[in-house]
Amino acid sequence: MDSFIAATSLVFTWDVMFIILAASVFGLFMGAIPGLTATMATALLVPVTFFMEPLPAIAAIVSATAMAIVAGDIPGALLRIPGTPASAVYTDEAYLMGKQGKVGVALGLNVVCSMFGGLIGVLCLASFAPLIANFAIQFTSDEYFWLALLGLSCAILVSGGDPLKGAISMLVGLAISMVGMDSVSGQVRFTLGSYDLLAGISILPVLIGLFAISELIRRMPESKNPTPPMQTDVKSPFAGVGSLLWKYKFGVARGGVLGTLIGALPGAGADIASWISYAIARKFSRTPEKFGTGHPEGLISASSANNASLSGAYIPALVFGIPGDTVTAIIIGVLMTKGITPGPDVFVNEGPLVNAIFMVFVVANLLLLPLGFMAIKGARHILSIPSGVLFPLILVFCMVGSFAANNSMFDIWIMLAFGLLGFVMAENDFPIGPLILAVILGPIIESNFMRSIIKSNGDLSSFVDRPIATVLAVAAVLIWGMIVVNGIAAGRRKTNLSFS
Amino acid sequence: MRTNDKVTGAVTLIFGILVIANSRGLANLPHQAYGAGTFPAVIGGLLMAFGGLLVLRGLRSNTRWMVWANAVPIKQFYLTLLGIVAVIVAYIVLTPILGFPVVASTLLSVLLYCLYRPSWLIAVSIAVISTAVIWGVFGRLLQVPLELGILEKVIY
Repeated sequence: MDSFIAATSLVFTWDVMFIILAASVFGLFMGAIPGLTATMATALLVPVTFFMEPLPAIAAIVSATAMAIVAGDIPGALLRIPGTPASAVYTDEAYLMGKQGKVGVALGLNVVCSMFGGLIGVLCLASFAPLIANFAIQFTSDEYFWLALLGLSCAILVSGGDPLKGAISMLVGLAISMVGMDSVSGQVRFTLGSYDLLAGISILPVLIGLFAISELIRRMPESKNPTPPMQTDVKSPFAGVGSLLWKYKFGVARGGVLGTLIGALPGAGADIASWISYAIARKFSRTPEKFGTGHPEGLISASSANNASLSGAYIPALVFGIPGDTVTAIIIGVLMTKGITPGPDVFVNEGPLVNAIFMVFVVANLLLLPLGFMAIKGARHILSIPSGVLFPLILVFCMVGSFAANNSMFDIWIMLAFGLLGFVMAENDFPIGPLILAVILGPIIESNFMRSIIKSNGDLSSFVDRPIATVLAVAAVLIWGMIVVNGIAAGRRKTNLSFS
Repeated sequence: MRTNDKVTGAVTLIFGILVIANSRGLANLPHQAYGAGTFPAVIGGLLMAFGGLLVLRGLRSNTRWMVWANAVPIKQFYLTLLGIVAVIVAYIVLTPILGFPVVASTLLSVLLYCLYRPSWLIAVSIAVISTAVIWGVFGRLLQVPLELGILEKVIY
């Protein structure tokens, strides 16, 4: 109870509430503009959070991402262009509802279902994370090594696309994480004689480069293209939403639980959660033939799932320090710079902070309702901002943001390099998620491996001495088996396609 | 700009070789067969293996070396890419000399004019106001040392 009161006093302060509100408005704006993703919003927000205390920093990121995912539905319904990848699966559905004169209902459902999905996710997070943390407190470096390896392996498997390219993306990330001074022996690696690389490659310019600059490279050439015609003004966003919600209440609950579970898998984010949830809703629907014709059932389920997955991703991130998606990878980076290493100990040593994070989730999700309503009403104005004005501003913001972490111009070079790398990777179907997770998890894997190897005097069999470590090792080997099988299958499919 | 798997595989393979080559001189921990070079060597080896697999796949497929599959004409893309790189390089080189306010507002004016095509007056006005806001947030509020450059003498 004391911890709960302490958490309440941490959250309900003017500065935290102001930051939540400001970050929500920022997220809303970023999500509503087609092409600007929730991850990009987070990457742009990080330079500002570097100067905040841990709780306001997390509050800012949580609020901005939740709002960006919801706002991503607006251009989907009005322009048939998904604002974020998480909205892509039901964009057609929402747009076709708009064609039937129900654009307000579609957007109202998006907002309300996102709120319920988010709250279900927080409930799961607050219920299960402390239990898992209690169990994980007995983990040693052996278990952490396998766990981190398992996290990376899952990221390749569930990131979608070609597993071989996913594995290469992960290895490139691991190689990047090795740059700088080795934490165990103090030897300098891969710095190419540069003093700026001694402390390693800073995560912030890497994030901004991969998620913002690469996106600008892709979008800027299109900025002269005219905006597609917009649907009519949204008159009454929440009219008729209540009856539809009651009708499909199980869809909301299923989407929320499913989204949380999928979000908890490393590498699987809001987009995968919404795709799977939509597919399952269709499978269990009494009227599957109506899907794709402007039917709200799939939209309800997927809207709940994509926001719930945001909370789910925090389960492995807070309990094990293993990021569930790119946003939690950023959160872990932010917490580490503030001297807090996520893991089971956090639940003991930083109890009020953990409870405060849960509360922030609740507040951010409740705010979706009024701010989502305002965003729907003001959608026409947000969408009328020309990208030719927006993109140059984002570019300057990226440069200043990259500079801000270490006050170093060298970081802007890093940002540029990773922007180009991210663009080339995305164009060639290399997923970015495994790379960024590997950059964060690389040092964790290596330091735990070295700690175990020193402890056991070089005996590799000690890695599977403890029962939990053995289970995790078997799981990691099985997942790698699946990656190899999927890789071979993908290769065969590609070869057959190119010859047909 | 999609390239054939042969190209991306070869680049991965070469990267793996470079990682291994650069990890050879790293010493092991005392009385251990492992050290700072262990992980890089494993990563380099896997990069070479997976890169090789990608090359093999590329050789088996019948696609072209490079394909432009975007809706935007390739010339327009290259020009914009060149513009982005030029703006970033100009910012890095010129900011320590001329200062953030001058460089940021100039670069923004040019970008706005090129991408949005307003009048120069509107482009410069938006650029100056935006630069002032960014400088206010980062330079004043968050205390990031954005250089004033030639404006330092004017302001102080």
